[in-house]
Amino acid sequence: MDSQQTAPQPEAADDPAECAGFVDVSVRLTGFDAFELRATGMVRAYHDTTLEQVGRPAVGRFLEDLAAAGGDPEGLTDEVSRDIARAITHLWYLGVWPPLARSTHAALGREKPNTAFVVSPEAYVEGLAWRTFHGHPPGAKPPGFGTWSDPPPAAPARPAEGPA
Amino acid sequence: MAKHLGDRGRRVLVLEAGTRTLDTWPGHLDAMNTYYAALAKVPNSPYRANAAAPSPDVLDLQGLPEGGYRATGYFLQNGALPYASDYQRATGGTALHWMGLVPRMHPDDFTVRSAYGYGRDWPLGYADLEPHYRVAEHALGAAGDAAEQSDAIGLPFPPGYDYPMRRIPRSHLDHLLATRLDGTTIRETPDAPETTLRVVTTPHARNSTPNPHYDGGRGYRPAGAAGLPNYGERCVGNASCTPICPVQAKYTPLKTQATWSRRVTLVTHAVVSRVLADRNGRVLGVEYQRYDDPAAPGHTTATAEADIVVLAAHAIENARLLLVSGLANSSDQVGRNLLDHPMLLTWGLLDRPTGPFRGPGSTSGFEGFRTGPARRARAPFRIEIGNWGWSWSAGSPGSDVARLLGIPGDTGAPRPPGVFGTRLRETLGRDVGRQFSLQFALEQDAESRNRVTVDPAHRDRLGNPRPVLTYDLSDHVKRGMVAAKAVSDHLFRLLGADDRTAYAPGPFAPGWFRFDDRDYVFQGAGHAGGTHVMGDAPATSVVDPWQRCWDHPNLYAVGCGSMPSMGTANPSLTMAALALRSCEQIDRDLRELRRPAVVRLPEGQP
Repeated sequence: MDSQQTAPQPEAADDPAECAGFVDVSVRLTGFDAFELRATGMVRAYHDTTLEQVGRPAVGRFLEDLAAAGGDPEGLTDEVSRDIARAITHLWYLGVWPPLARSTHAALGREKPNTAFVVSPEAYVEGLAWRTFHGHPPGAKPPGFGTWSDPPPAAPARPAEGPA
Repeated sequence: MAKHLGDRGRRVLVLEAGTRTLDTWPGHLDAMNTYYAALAKVPNSPYRANAAAPSPDVLDLQGLPEGGYRATGYFLQNGALPYASDYQRATGGTALHWMGLVPRMHPDDFTVRSAYGYGRDWPLGYADLEPHYRVAEHALGAAGDAAEQSDAIGLPFPPGYDYPMRRIPRSHLDHLLATRLDGTTIRETPDAPETTLRVVTTPHARNSTPNPHYDGGRGYRPAGAAGLPNYGERCVGNASCTPICPVQAKYTPLKTQATWSRRVTLVTHAVVSRVLADRNGRVLGVEYQRYDDPAAPGHTTATAEADIVVLAAHAIENARLLLVSGLANSSDQVGRNLLDHPMLLTWGLLDRPTGPFRGPGSTSGFEGFRTGPARRARAPFRIEIGNWGWSWSAGSPGSDVARLLGIPGDTGAPRPPGVFGTRLRETLGRDVGRQFSLQFALEQDAESRNRVTVDPAHRDRLGNPRPVLTYDLSDHVKRGMVAAKAVSDHLFRLLGADDRTAYAPGPFAPGWFRFDDRDYVFQGAGHAGGTHVMGDAPATSVVDPWQRCWDHPNLYAVGCGSMPSMGTANPSLTMAALALRSCEQIDRDLRELRRPAVVRLPEGQP
């Protein structure tokens, strides 16, 4: 038996180091950890969308600028790099690539319309914005009958009501 | 109506202008994906556009920077204010994206002209509709608490009656508001009478816990999804009732369609273009246009003959069809009295998490402003407690994410630096997590100037004239909005809430106007009515109390278009009750038509 032939070929998506740099940057942008980000299954799609939308050179400059700012996106001074930070974060939070600032769009010489779009149906479902307040995306991940009656996690307990 | 008549042995042909992809489970899943991928999750976003049977869309309206609006799309609009609601032409219709609230109208709502001096009276009263309300609550699968509705609103129910299902559980927000406001009294103006505040659960056509005592102890089995057996028998809190319930726990007409008898024939891709009548006013049938692929041009024309023709195509489409056919209009009322429930939204932040974006869009409301002497001076309103944060009023949470990141709507505007990382996550969670809104649904008085007309110069792809809408709000409605805002101010103060309500002209505010030196923005509720108004005399109304056209004994126009007023209740339940009532008359009409001829002997013979 040739073990090399029977062993399953690892697919790129199973590789924990896939897009490691992009995940590392995304953690700093979003405030969600690598485990949470990878669990969305959206890493590859967002990585590719970003490259496709702004191009590899601009991403390279963005990474250099971020490193120069000590990894803190709020320390970015270059307006183009800052706009790329906004776009990647928006992508993670809502599954939507946003319109860039007109100046960024021009500076990058983009040959595509500067309009917003939902990356994929799954991207909407995996938006992080809903998690920040213990919610779920409308139309997906339903929490169950009557759950909306309970206080959300982290809310103070409700005082008892009178007869209603 | 098709089910009711089919079950009685009548042969029914249903001509549907749109497609029927949505009554299969794969078609439903396709609509879900379309919804997920839609940038603006508006009511029609899950449903594919169809150029052969176009539908209006709320995105067709854009506000202008200094006020006013621009309308594109299917409707042509020339009113002072825009008609701001959409509808959907496909099997299932607009009720695919309805919220699913089924309050009954208040008994006072049927006599607004005689009792309060505005709008138009119904030729029927609450008592005439009451038994049909019960049948409709069964047919739609309503969840509610009759004792609470009776006690808090004064709705009469027969003794011992309760809804098929237990009331939908109240949201956490409902509980918070009830704790702080129940029993408190407020005055909308200093000299107005006091109104006692009370959070009241709203009846829903949404699957809840069955009521074992319903129907004399026979109970009730919730109706599941159309196209997937034994699924969707409880609401599971997807929080997307409008525009689409993923599990179909919300009633849609597709559920009834699935139970049609074999005597009912559905023909889709069939756009009725004209109602055909003879010189005596007897309707012969309809002319309709068949097309194959919504995306491909070309159609063929066919005719269907019938003993009785029922128009059930939506208030605006019914009126359009009557106008194009030149029928039923001896009163000159066809297309007039166009109604909606103009909505005033207010929004703010509570001092603690509200649990937003969970559960049905609204589970409770304040019902104390629906009637009373104040109606003489201003439109009454029902207050819905909005469970979905500022999604309707301000596009949350997408708008909050964009604001915090420093992404303004105008790509040319300078961008604020924005916040990122943990600070973004925590700020967004704290802000959005405390959002809540109130939705004031105002009664609109029937006015003949608010109307649907047709213009032969403007046609859709199949050559059918498009609806031309002329719409405005009366001062009676606007005074209702002034009162609604005053009540909102009181409520926010009592709640200690941070009021973020703001009305200004702009692209997302086509419904902006000024009244008494203050700004307002209204929204459409999707509740079109009035356009083939019901009355007690042929000279002043289009249909009789059975929704039968006065001018044509075998032509019915059914739906909200028949309603002379809609009160402050979401109108679908009343529409269903009216339709079920009309079935009785149609059944009698058909029996009359099919009765064997009686051979009489000449007089004087033995």
